[in-house]
This record gives sequence, C-alpha cells and structure tokens, in this order.
Amino acid sequence: MIEVEQLRKAYGELIAVDGVSFAARPGEIFGLLGPNGAGKTSTIGCISGLLTPSAGHVKLMGHDVVREGPAARANLGVVPQEIALYEDLSAHENLAYWGGAQGMRNPKLRDRIQQVLELTGLLDRAKEPVKQFSGGMKRRLNFACGILHSPKVLLLDEPTVGVDPQSRVRLLDLVRSQAQAGTCVLYTTHYMQEAEALCDRLAIMDHGKVIAAGTLIELRAMLAERDLLRLTGVFAPQAARAAMQHIDSVEILQADESLLLLSLPGASAKLPAVFAALAGAGAEVRGTTLTQPSLESLFIKLTGKELRE
Amino acid sequence: MRFLFASVRKDLERMRRDPLALATSLGIPLVLVVIITLVFGGGQATPQGRLLMADEDGTVLSQALTAAFSREPLAKMIVIETTDQKEGRRRMDRGDASALLIVPKGFQEAFFQSRPIQMQLVTNPAQEILPNIIQETLSIVVDGGFYVQRLGGPLLPALAAGPPPSDDTVAQISIAFSRYGRSLSKYINPPLIGLELQVTAEKPASQNIAAIFLPAMLFMGLLFIGNAHALDIWKEQLWGTLRRLVSTPASLAALLGARLISLALILTAVALVGVGGMRWFAHVPVASVSLATLWLVLSGAAFYLFLVTIAVHASGQRAASVIGNLVVFPLSLLGGSFFPFEMMPDWMASIGRFTPNGWAITEFKAFVAGSAHTKDFLIGAACMAAAGSLLFLLTLRRIRKLV
Repeated sequence: MIEVEQLRKAYGELIAVDGVSFAARPGEIFGLLGPNGAGKTSTIGCISGLLTPSAGHVKLMGHDVVREGPAARANLGVVPQEIALYEDLSAHENLAYWGGAQGMRNPKLRDRIQQVLELTGLLDRAKEPVKQFSGGMKRRLNFACGILHSPKVLLLDEPTVGVDPQSRVRLLDLVRSQAQAGTCVLYTTHYMQEAEALCDRLAIMDHGKVIAAGTLIELRAMLAERDLLRLTGVFAPQAARAAMQHIDSVEILQADESLLLLSLPGASAKLPAVFAALAGAGAEVRGTTLTQPSLESLFIKLTGKELRE
Repeated sequence: MRFLFASVRKDLERMRRDPLALATSLGIPLVLVVIITLVFGGGQATPQGRLLMADEDGTVLSQALTAAFSREPLAKMIVIETTDQKEGRRRMDRGDASALLIVPKGFQEAFFQSRPIQMQLVTNPAQEILPNIIQETLSIVVDGGFYVQRLGGPLLPALAAGPPPSDDTVAQISIAFSRYGRSLSKYINPPLIGLELQVTAEKPASQNIAAIFLPAMLFMGLLFIGNAHALDIWKEQLWGTLRRLVSTPASLAALLGARLISLALILTAVALVGVGGMRWFAHVPVASVSLATLWLVLSGAAFYLFLVTIAVHASGQRAASVIGNLVVFPLSLLGGSFFPFEMMPDWMASIGRFTPNGWAITEFKAFVAGSAHTKDFLIGAACMAAAGSLLFLLTLRRIRKLV
C-alpha cells in the first residue's frame, strides 16, 4: 500500500510538489496523470527514495520511506522511465545483479530469473548483451528488473514510452497480472487511452497539486456528459469568445489565434450554430474534432492544456 | 554482503566483457618490462665498463699494464680510455666510468730499481661488478710484477740503466729465473709495488636501468588504470543504474566498495605481472615480492579513490575525462612515473617525491631494494587507508548528489 500525505517537495524557490495526498491499495492500479512539469516525477522520486521530501510523509506497506528507508524499499519495485540497465551485461546478468541488490539469494533468485524472463519473452535471448536488444526488448527487461523480487508496491514511470505496439500490449498485460497478484501499482503515463484501459483509480496533477482524483466513472461524471469540440483555423480570440456566448451551454476551455476548445452537451446538434456564429465573427474554421466525454477531455477541462504539452 | 558479492561479480564481468581495457590493464606492466629489458638488457647480458688510464709515466712498463685489460674475456667487458689525472677524476666524479687507474711518474724506474711505488685505483661506487673485476685484475698484475722483481733480482736495474740487453744478458736472466723459481721461500716477502684503493664520494646504491625505470612505468600504469576506472561511475550515472539502485535496499557505499574490491583484484594481477616481470624477466633483485606486490595494489586502489573523487566532482563525463587527464599527466611527469627521479634534476626530484605517486614510488623502491620492511609497509598502508577513507566518503557524498 502507498500512503502519501501532504507531500511537498521544493527546489529552492520552485515548489514541484505542493501538498499532494493520495493512497493506493494492494491489487489496485493507481494512475498518476499530468503534463510535463506537473510534479509527477518529483512525487515518484519521493516515493522511491530518490528524493527527500521537504515536508509530508510517504509510507510503503506501513514503512516511512525516510525513517525506515531500507525496510520500505524492500517492498518496492521501480520501473524507471529511462532504461536503467547495464548495456554490456546480458539480460540474465542484469537480473542476477538487481536481484542481489534486493537481497535475493539462489536458488530462489535463479528460479525467479527464469520466471520473469519467460514472462517478458526474453528467455531465448537471456545470454545476449543488452546492447544488442531492440528498444522494446530493453523496455521489457527494464520491467523484468522491477518485478523480479515480487514487490508489494510497483512504481511504473511511463513504462511504455517508445515501445512498439506488440511490446506495449505485453507490458500492459504484465502490469495487470501484477495487480491481480495483489501488487499495489502506481502508474504514470502520457497515454490517456492506456490510463483509461488500465487504471482502477486516477489522480490528475498540475502545478504540483492533485486537481482531481477518483475512479474513471467518478472523473467522467465531473464532465457532466459534455462533449469536447476542438476547432482549428484562424480566429480572433475576443470575437470568438463573444460569438460563443450566444450559443446555449457552451463553455470555452481555450481560445487563441489558431485553436478553439469548447465543452458543450450534444455538440453534434449544435455544430451548425457554432460554425455560423464563428463565421459571423470573422473566423476561418479549417478543422473540427468532436470527442465524446473521456479522460482526455476531462484533463483538458481541468488543466486547460493537452497532456502532451 | 550479498549485494557486495553480486556487485563485485558484476564489475568483474563487465571488465571481462571489455577485453581491450582488461588487456591494457594487464598488458601495461608486461609490455613495459619487455620493452625496458629489450632496450637496456636484462641481467644475463655481459656488463661493459670503462677504465680510465692516467699514465703519468708513459713508459713501456706502464703501457704494458693496459695490455693486461686488453685480453679476452676482459676486453669484452672493459673499454680502456687514456686520460690525464685531473680529467679522469672529474669524469669519475660524474660517474662516467667504472674506475680510474693513475700510474705515477717514475713507475718503471722504481719497478726496475725494486723501490716501493704506489698506483692509485679510483672506483665508481654506483657499480659493483666491473670495478671489482678491474681491481682483481690489477692485483694479479701487481703480484706478477712482484714475482718478476724477485726472479730478476739485480739484473733488472741493469736492464733499466743501459742500452738494449745483449744475448749474454738475456741468457743470464733466464738462468736467474730458473734458479729463483726453485726458491719459493722468497715469495713470502711483501710486494714492493703497493696498490692504494680509493672510493669516490658516497653515491646511491647500485641499480640497473630496469630497476630505475620499471617502478616508474608500473606506477604510471597504475595511474592510467585508476583514471580509466574512475570514469566508469559516469557511465553508471548516464545508464540510470545509480538511480535504480537508490530505490533498492542496497547502499551506494556497497556499490563503491565493490568497485574498489574488483579493482583491487585486477590490480593484484597487474602487480604480480609487474613485480614478477621485474624479478624473473628483467632480473631486478626484489627483496620482498609480497610487500612490493601489496604496495602496488594499495597504491593503485588509493590512486583510484583519488581520481574517482576528482571525476565525480566534475560537471559531466567529458569534463571528468579532461580533468582526470590534466591531473594524471603532470603527476606522472613530476612524480617520477614517467621520468624516474634518478634522471631528474635534484630540485625537481625533491618536489616530485612529495606527490602521492612520487611518495609511493619511493616507498616501492625501498621494498624492492630491501631497505624498507614490514613495519614501514604497515605505516605506509595506514596512511593510505586514512587518506583513502576520506576520499571514499567524499566520493560517496558526491555520488548521492549525482543520483
């Protein structure tokens, strides 16, 4: 179990994490979402022991990560965003080393290495130096090193970045199987669909704070079944805002010279009225995207920006 | 402990996977031993020395002395150069020859008159074998001269005084030799020609070229090995393995300790090759192989800690590489690891002995020569352990920040 209470991390004047609190339970996949600079990585760093919190507490399976570091980290598996492997060693040697770092001994270590190599589909390449692996294979081995010691808490920091579709499916299956085995998984990702498909509960971070948290159903409810209408083209922001005020129930999320983001119920029925109003305001619409209520639209509604920004 | 073992195994495996670096580490001392032995010759080669002759008498007899050194096998070992006494002494002061033989004026006349006369032999204390050979050869010649005087008796003054001897005179001398040959009792009298042995001012104990160069080269190798391994921490930083390690129960201190242990194992192999090569290939007498080997290992480990401390305090891998080289090369040059102290001006050697590698080389030479013993080793090792511990802590603190 992960318990984060009023976590704060400051780098001098810059406050990266500002009073973040959440809890993730065993067997649960907890998603942490946020754009770059939202404070996700600093939060993960404080949980994994990489960073010392400026204030607040983080507990892993009841052990405080600062006061009881080794005991807390004994329950922790980390799959970092950057591949953290010895390129000149083989997959088997990497696993043996990281197993040793977790205090594992033979014959359990030997058996477990075989298991995770099989799980990640690397058994037949186990003796090859990692530098000869493809990006996807390295990602899978990176994951294997994180789950080798069957941790009770697993931190996954964007584990599927740059992974081919086949490896991604395999990795996501592995994450699900870890959770089904009772592991508490904390998962960060840029991929909204991945988060929607994988996570039981989510927290959305921005500017170092959790701005929304809950299950996917709870978060979708925050949108009140409103669609997201994304218009691209040439706009006069002030004139566009004024034009939209004449259309019923429209909420303007973003308006600039090239993009207009609107939240409105029953958007498809209101499209002609929207286009007419914009034409009257001198706008030139070149592209339209209508999105049903989703995590992404919630994210944009909450933060005013897309997740990849 | 489990992690320490896993980490040592990992480091050794990584070194094995980099055969070029490993071969360089192990090959440096071996290549140096071979090159220096080939260039300067090992202990099996015939030594060659120079005998300076200051012949102030300039007679047939004084020149005959030269002939004694011109016969095989002496001629292969000793080159004779004629000089005057002043120049000869100047060159001896420079250590430019094995010995100087001064034959005084009136030598031949005194010999034929059976009057006492003294030659002077000045030997070079920096050499052992050749001056002894010259001295022994000269002693034999002096003894031979004494016997000739005994046998020739009153005939010798006659030979010296007049014109070339007649046939009768030669016959008389032959008969006299025959008579005196039967009378050995006269041989117990002391010789009338004395040999005074002088030794020039004190100089360092004798060393061959390999003994001077090899320690320097070995320590240069240790510095390079330490520098190469010091940079590896940056690889770990770039690979993200240091970050991953922090999220495990294992400690960074164990990681650094394991690096030190695995490096010490490599250094042991290097030291054994180096010291073994010195002793059995270059034929340099090594008083204590074990102390010399251990000293090399300790020195290499201390150099590594010194250089890794510098490397981790650099702003990046490239900066660490540049700074490491900027430290290693001047230290090698000044600290007697490139040019031996014996070849440096005295003032420079005095400064160089205060550098870490300069101090370590000086101690190593003492263990090789047998002038330092276990007690000196323990004191030196304690000093290195203290300095090493401080460097270890500084490195550890910095690595934590790098993560």
